[in-house]
Amino acid sequence: MAKTSTLSVAVQKSLDHYDLDVDFTCEAGSLTAVVGPSGAGKTTLIRIIAGLERPDSGQVCLGDTCWTDTDSGVFLHARKRKLGLVFQEYTLFPHLNVRKNVAFAASDQDRVDRLMSLFGISHLADKRPSAISGGERQRAAFCQALARDPVLLLLDEPFSALDAGTRRSLRSELKDIKSELDIPVLHVTHDLEEAEYLGDSILAVDHGHVSPDWFSGQMCSLRSMHSSIYQGSSL
Amino acid sequence: MKRIVPFVLALVLLLPSSVFAADLVVAQAANFMPAMKEIIPAFKAKTGLTVQATYTSTGKLYGQIINGAPFDVFLAADQRRPDALFAKGLCEKPFVYAKGQVVLWTKNKALCEMGWIKALQDPSISKIAIANTETAPYGTSAMNALKSAGLWDKMESELVYGQSIAQVFQFASTGAADVGLCAFSSVFTDEGKKGCYTVVDLAPPVIQAACLLKKSTHAETAAQFIEFLGSDEVKAIKKKYGYK
Amino acid sequence: MELEPFYLSAKLAFWTMLIIPFIAAPIACMLAFGRFAGKSAVDALVSLPMVLPPTVLGFWLLVIMGPQGTLGMLWENVTGQRLVFSFTGILLASLVFNLPFAVQPLRAAFEKLDHRLLESASILGLSRTQAFVRVIIPNSLGGLAASSILVFAHSLGEFGVILMVGGSIPGETKVASVAIFEAVEALRFDDAFLMSAALVPVSFLVLVLINRINRRR
Repeated sequence: MAKTSTLSVAVQKSLDHYDLDVDFTCEAGSLTAVVGPSGAGKTTLIRIIAGLERPDSGQVCLGDTCWTDTDSGVFLHARKRKLGLVFQEYTLFPHLNVRKNVAFAASDQDRVDRLMSLFGISHLADKRPSAISGGERQRAAFCQALARDPVLLLLDEPFSALDAGTRRSLRSELKDIKSELDIPVLHVTHDLEEAEYLGDSILAVDHGHVSPDWFSGQMCSLRSMHSSIYQGSSL
Repeated sequence: MKRIVPFVLALVLLLPSSVFAADLVVAQAANFMPAMKEIIPAFKAKTGLTVQATYTSTGKLYGQIINGAPFDVFLAADQRRPDALFAKGLCEKPFVYAKGQVVLWTKNKALCEMGWIKALQDPSISKIAIANTETAPYGTSAMNALKSAGLWDKMESELVYGQSIAQVFQFASTGAADVGLCAFSSVFTDEGKKGCYTVVDLAPPVIQAACLLKKSTHAETAAQFIEFLGSDEVKAIKKKYGYK
Repeated sequence: MELEPFYLSAKLAFWTMLIIPFIAAPIACMLAFGRFAGKSAVDALVSLPMVLPPTVLGFWLLVIMGPQGTLGMLWENVTGQRLVFSFTGILLASLVFNLPFAVQPLRAAFEKLDHRLLESASILGLSRTQAFVRVIIPNSLGGLAASSILVFAHSLGEFGVILMVGGSIPGETKVASVAIFEAVEALRFDDAFLMSAALVPVSFLVLVLINRINRRR
């Protein structure tokens, strides 16, 4: 599969309180931030793209190959899609040290070493996930996901469990490497500023639907809130 | 409604047990059960008295009695246990109430025609069920028969031990053991009729003794029952089930 | 006091403990993660040996393992030996009898695993079997230990089923629990007392071990 492929998603799924109906594309080398209030269907969307869930109807395709296509009955299992996925937590295996985690499904040991030094965790190679900080764990999770040379990177609120400082540094590291990756990257977050900072494009999802108005509305009130804070502190 | 149930239950449990008791309670070794189940209604027909019986192994009954179980009469499968009770002063002098016989029972009809000695040595047999030779009188008797016939050493490796004569029969009737050295009375049961038997003549008769327990509060009824056990009517019932 | 029954009891408990994880783990996995029609039926079937009176279970095993039973006939065709009244026979009975006690702690351990670990494994390209061996098992060692120790202790005390299918053959199927029972029946109360006393510290030790493992988890 050619690396420079575009992800195209058009799926519908009926959920508990509403119906998910999303249609978008994401190009190789670009990061699409997926934002929305909690319960909006962001995680379900990621899971459908990953192949962990099936939509009621629709397609998930990368380039010319469709992984999911309800019309023709195609469904490729998650393990065969060669994805990278980073969860908020519990991505790493607790029973293995960092190096074994990163190298878990990778065949290229040099790549493993390079990634670990790129993310600055080479010195933690022998430590268990429980013995390192949350930020270090997420770095290791990134390495694990990228060690397989995936064709698509899915990030499900990877920084949400971290403190503000760690979040900021990881955010900027991600921004630095995303163009090198040359694959589509989907980044789910509830943090609007993060979305604006990282995203080459923004997919706002509200109640299962793509809703750019919701996003602009949110950004507006956020900015006015910030400006009132700054005004307050300058006094 | 919910409150009435526990109240009624308590009432029932607290009522003096004599309200529900039979006129006589006997402890009966299990092998004699088929015969006793006919003797009890016959006794009732004759005297109007009800007898309640507990059927289990002699060993268990003995253990219960020396720990104070409230039986009136003890009917064992051997003489040893009643003698032991007598020696302990727990019962009156024991008397013999039946003589049992060990038979070879099997589902394989061909084996019965050979006679028990040839049957046991038949190459098609790999497992012989026998009652625990230490605790079951039928087991001891069977063991003596095998020893008398000079077969004990040869056959010992093929023996499987049942805890009771009932279990021995179970091993044989399920086919787990090829033959069983059982009590004669078992051949008269429904399961027993599905197979065939041959009398193990070298097995000494199993002398089954009984005694009246000193703790009994129904001495008169017990005496009547014991007398009944010696009657011709009971003799006929015993014969029917292979006892002398 | 006879020593052979203790050796047999230990041997039975040891082999049961060793073999049962291979049967129990896949079943526990299926019950913890599987979603299929008839799952509650499988669950009930696995729990059955725990609910049935040992004599009932023992009787059915006697019929199935006997020379005319399905399993018994198969065994005799292959080995020429009878399955009932043999050590293998009581071992098989022990495996059946202990299955629910092995499956339940394992299932509980598996269900405690975060589902995202398994999804991670899937995304990283592992098949279900590979995920089972490389992710589920290594993260359920506490459950495995508890399961094994419980099964060991339970096998030591097993009586009813062994009595039904064993035939109390000295050196082959006359385990400690049966020997103690026979001693009581024969009014050899001193022997019975001594043998029981020997089993108590072992059971106690096992329970202490289980508690420590559970506390550490």
